[in-house]
Amino acid sequence: MGQAYSTIAFDASKCDGCGECMKACAGAKFESDDVRRSLIQIMPKAAAATGVAAKGAFELALCRQCGDPKCVTVCPAGALGKDGATGVIDWDASKCVDCLLCTIGCSYAGIALDEYTGRVSKCDTCDGKPACVPACPTGALRHVTTARIYNEVGGWEDLFAPGLAGCQGCNTELLMRHTLRRVGPDTVLATPPGCVPGMGSVGFNGTTGTKVPVFHPLLTNTAAMLAGVKRQYERVGRKVTAMAIAGDGGASDVGFQSLSGAAERGERILFMVVDNEGYMNTGMQRSSCTPYGAWTSTTPVGAHTRGKTQDAKNLPLIMVNHRCAYVATASTAYMEDLYAKLDKALEASEHGFAYLHVYSPCTTGWRFQSAMNIEVARKAVESNFVTLWEYTPETGLSFSRPVDRPLPVVDYLKAMGRFRHLSPEQIEHIQNKVEENLRFVQKIAEKEHG
Amino acid sequence: MSTTTIDTPNTDAARATTKAMLCEGNEAAALAVALARPDMVAVYPITPQTSLVEKLASLIAEGRMDADIVDAEGEHSVLSVLQGGALAGARTYTATCGPGLAFMFEPYLRTSGMRLPLVMTIVTRDGITPQSVWGGHQDAMTVRESGWIQMYCETVQEVLDTTVMAFKLAEHHDVMLPVNVCLDGNYLSYGASRIELPEQAEVDAFMGAKDVNWHVALDPQRPMAVDPLTGGSGGNGPETFARYRRGQCRGMQSALRVITEIHEEWGQRFGHHFAPLVEEYRLDDAEYAIMTLGSMTGAAKDAIDEARAAGEKVGLIKIKTFSPFPVAALKHALRSVRALGVVDRSVAFRWNCGPMFQETLGVLYRLGRHIPAQSFIGGLAGADLTTAIFHRVIDETRALLTRPASDEPVWLNAKD
Repeated sequence: MGQAYSTIAFDASKCDGCGECMKACAGAKFESDDVRRSLIQIMPKAAAATGVAAKGAFELALCRQCGDPKCVTVCPAGALGKDGATGVIDWDASKCVDCLLCTIGCSYAGIALDEYTGRVSKCDTCDGKPACVPACPTGALRHVTTARIYNEVGGWEDLFAPGLAGCQGCNTELLMRHTLRRVGPDTVLATPPGCVPGMGSVGFNGTTGTKVPVFHPLLTNTAAMLAGVKRQYERVGRKVTAMAIAGDGGASDVGFQSLSGAAERGERILFMVVDNEGYMNTGMQRSSCTPYGAWTSTTPVGAHTRGKTQDAKNLPLIMVNHRCAYVATASTAYMEDLYAKLDKALEASEHGFAYLHVYSPCTTGWRFQSAMNIEVARKAVESNFVTLWEYTPETGLSFSRPVDRPLPVVDYLKAMGRFRHLSPEQIEHIQNKVEENLRFVQKIAEKEHG
Repeated sequence: MSTTTIDTPNTDAARATTKAMLCEGNEAAALAVALARPDMVAVYPITPQTSLVEKLASLIAEGRMDADIVDAEGEHSVLSVLQGGALAGARTYTATCGPGLAFMFEPYLRTSGMRLPLVMTIVTRDGITPQSVWGGHQDAMTVRESGWIQMYCETVQEVLDTTVMAFKLAEHHDVMLPVNVCLDGNYLSYGASRIELPEQAEVDAFMGAKDVNWHVALDPQRPMAVDPLTGGSGGNGPETFARYRRGQCRGMQSALRVITEIHEEWGQRFGHHFAPLVEEYRLDDAEYAIMTLGSMTGAAKDAIDEARAAGEKVGLIKIKTFSPFPVAALKHALRSVRALGVVDRSVAFRWNCGPMFQETLGVLYRLGRHIPAQSFIGGLAGADLTTAIFHRVIDETRALLTRPASDEPVWLNAKD
């Protein structure tokens, strides 16, 4: 497996050109207040060069620390080289012959002539703690460190067999493999009926798809069965993680009683719900987590009905009201956030009930192209259709990825075929519901912190 | 009810290590469970089982029983928690009845399929509608094709002893099936009798080492997939499925032998001798017989004694083990019988008779015996089955010696 690297990401839609990043860089690197010395340059787009400062009107000149760096390739002196450990492209002043070929090779203007020294200079990410990122007041700059997950965790043993039979583009398999790598082999895994066993995690006819002990509880009793497993291991003094990877249907509908009961008793288990908003394994039927307006095979679109007529049950908020040891929502589009929450949930499951609700778009049931899964997942968060937060009784509820400038929800809805039939009134209903849900969670967050 | 020690008999060597006391059937079941030392009990209250689980809770609270008690949110989870516990190696127990048994039906079916040695008392209760909270066997009879062993008790002492034996039976390697000890609601659950409580050390010696999940486990030290999807139209799937089912059937048939062996050992150790499968009462020269199940048997035996005193050649067959149905033992019991009356405390809707009667017809066919047999249905919803009623059963059965049986059951407590 190849190495992944951290990077500095720029969101043009959030940048208002204030220049704080440039000030921070110039200060950090050269103790200068001259933004021209900054290694990060924010500049008006060529087409908007004469316009006023507006979001989306700026572009970024910054070293991308490319995987296949043209600057390194063109350097005749061997002064530029990519560091295999950090991914940073280093410039060695003692070898540089000042030919400036590298500045021509870079299409991002990431390496440029420093007029003060007469030599080139470029971003070195400040040894992994870039000064520009915290200086950005709008969040347009982010230091993406997800690489840690792929480099560290990718080396750990994959506890599922290769070749699970998920649909093409399904991110539940991604989620399962990452999760079990982190949770580790001292685990008893419950996968109630749904996509997770459907793709072969429990196995067929005497085979198994999982390298840890795994079972197929009833759709109705996952939390109770796991509680029994965990209690017996505690009784004999063995440390075993009891974990469920369950679908939203069983958890929110017919399995809710045992889920609620186990949470009330504070059973020390980790219950992960993979929310694809329906019974997707049996052919895309509605669950109580299916959103309003969505087409499913049991909420079809016809002359009399236009998809689901009720709003989704907010299962994670219901679990918050159980005062679980830990409750969080997560998305496969934000793996770093998911990992941080998985770590906390695992720890919490040693002393109480831990609940992790992961929004997981379904390529087949939601009707979008299989390559678009992560993009759909990201849009759900960026439009506040899905909010990412975490809760403990001690710290209350807090957003882990607040979205200050959400996309209109229609941008999310139009990415999928299941919402194609929506009328303007239905879209308005969903937009209003998104805002209402957000206000509701915000109020809880304020109250818990207040 | 409080436990009152009324005497301590030390006359019989076999009973030297027992303690006599007065207690109800529910309390006796709880005391038996404590003697069997389960790791985990899961409970949910329901009439007429409630005092049983209350007793278990108090035994644990007082430190007289070392078990993890799970106060689940319903019977469905009760049985599910115990399945998880058993798969992790726990000896497990619960009790239920009526609507509670109906609610746990889904995990109930799986318990025998996974060959989990759970023990569960059914404090029997009649059907959900018409509403009734009183005794009757309809709940236990309704689940009789679920692969569980079912034994019905006549007395409080038999409840206690059978409950302990049930754990050893369930965990036997030739059986590995869940066991229901059926305890008649109201009559046995709340009826107080003198019992002899075995000493813990003696029961420990009888039980031997716990051996729960040697064949199926959820244990990271020996990873396996428990209950993968099995079957389909081709390959080895259907054959594997059939092998599982056949194994369950073999376990049930092995249970007939193991139940007999365990009852024999129990009698030797504790001096309490119970017929393991079928009790033959005054059958040696009987021309006709009546068949009973559970607590009704006491009144029936009194009626038989009175009929015998009057010169009637009548005997009684008590079914102890209803599931697996004891065909060979019944063959012996029926050897000289020329007419048979079968008394059920539940109904078999499809056959317009009692379920035990229906099962017995199958035995008679297998034996090639075409004797007249009559279904009697009584004791529903807590109704008394008195000695007088059993005299009617005896009279109507005797009449079968000279006339054919009716296709209609005889309703013993019904208003006409």
